Amino acid sequence: MSDRARDPLPPDEPLTADMERARETLRALPAAAPRAAFRSRLRQEFVTGAIESAPPPRTLSIPWYRTSMARWGATAVAAAAALVVVSVMNQAPAWKLSDVRGEGIVVVDGVPIPTQHVEELEQHLKPGVFVQVPDGVELEIASAGELAIEYTAGTEASLPQAPGRWFQRHALAEVRVGELRFTTGSAFHGARLAIETHEARVEATGTTFAVICEPTGTCVCVYEGRVRVGTRGGVGMAMVEAGRRRYLFTDGRPDENAEMRDTEHAELPRFKARMSGMMK
Amino acid sequence: MSGSAAARRAGSDPLPREVLERVRAREPEALGAFFERYVDQVFSLVYRLLGDRTLAEDVTQEVFLKVHRAAPQLDASRDPGPWLTTIATNACRDLWRSGAHRLRKKSDSLEDDSGLAERLTRQQDEPEGEAIARERERIVQQAIGELPEPLRLAVVLHDYQGLDHLEIARLTGLGHAAARKRYSRALEKLGVLLKERLR
Repeated sequence: MSDRARDPLPPDEPLTADMERARETLRALPAAAPRAAFRSRLRQEFVTGAIESAPPPRTLSIPWYRTSMARWGATAVAAAAALVVVSVMNQAPAWKLSDVRGEGIVVVDGVPIPTQHVEELEQHLKPGVFVQVPDGVELEIASAGELAIEYTAGTEASLPQAPGRWFQRHALAEVRVGELRFTTGSAFHGARLAIETHEARVEATGTTFAVICEPTGTCVCVYEGRVRVGTRGGVGMAMVEAGRRRYLFTDGRPDENAEMRDTEHAELPRFKARMSGMMK
Repeated sequence: MSGSAAARRAGSDPLPREVLERVRAREPEALGAFFERYVDQVFSLVYRLLGDRTLAEDVTQEVFLKVHRAAPQLDASRDPGPWLTTIATNACRDLWRSGAHRLRKKSDSLEDDSGLAERLTRQQDEPEGEAIARERERIVQQAIGELPEPLRLAVVLHDYQGLDHLEIARLTGLGHAAARKRYSRALEKLGVLLKERLR
């Protein structure tokens, strides 16, 4: 080791009396000696090599719950738990069967359920299931505050996932045949609903409208608000205003734009009125 | 350099090269000589830095474990003193950074004066001058312990262990001027603490 003469920097300002005294006090401190028993044990372990297998000193070991791995694990668990909580809280209210009219067998994802078995039917109405409604039966299904759907008689269509509260705010339904009526609630604000048929794609951001899938084509009637309608691939999307309809033909004829159907003029406001209590 | 610090550095010659060569081969006799030559130096430094005998013993054990593991890489042509100082200092810094140390610090308030009874018993049996010296040492050690760890390191390495600022700068990864400045701050703070307590 070297002495202070090697120090290449110029000396600092003179030390104060207190600093000088502290320095001298420190330099005068005697060497501290380890306890004899410790010294003797450590010497034995060092000389024989037993020190390599000696247990680590207790004061230097970190409890398992303070190790970085445990901390990372705890952080990961907390993050996962938070994710689960947020995911659960993000979910829209579950689908409820608000009304069943008529008698018959509804098929949900291939499972036949008599309309009299309301509870069983409701239990099967999960997002993504495919619902086949027989002639003479109508279903009204709602996710409180978000979205209500009316399945008219003879309709075959999927049940969409109701949009999440904060994220995953989009939903998609597919109509194979028949008619679905939609009305959205206050919690739907800012979400997006898409409906696809053989030939059409409908996109709504909050409104009351009907999608009618017939052998000749798809008719979209808008009672309230506006929806975008185009071909299934999303080509030629055009806005359909309230009170209007757009018809996309299966045989390739040009789309028809006209006033909405008289039936829908009557049915859509009734549907909306029936569901208004649940859509607040 | 003066007083005990100088004595600590100059008072013991490095081990002969042939002994260090045998330490590299981990020959028991050479390891014994190595231990005898350096154990007090290591413990003393660590104790002054940590201010706790049990912790100092544990860190000393850690240092000698590292030495045993690294023995085959030992440079027999050099005095291992600075190497040991580096290992001991780094072990203390690792301890300060560790969760175990932070936990211990939290519970220290409950154990602060655990050595009081031992001190009082000892003081009854020793001459008054020795008792005063011992009490003075305790006060100084306590003041050192109240310095923030980087300042404690600066002042103990320089004035107790006898390293110059350049060596301390290398050891702590600071620039030379920064090491000097830190030492100056540490000494100033220690001066204030001791002025209040050593009247």
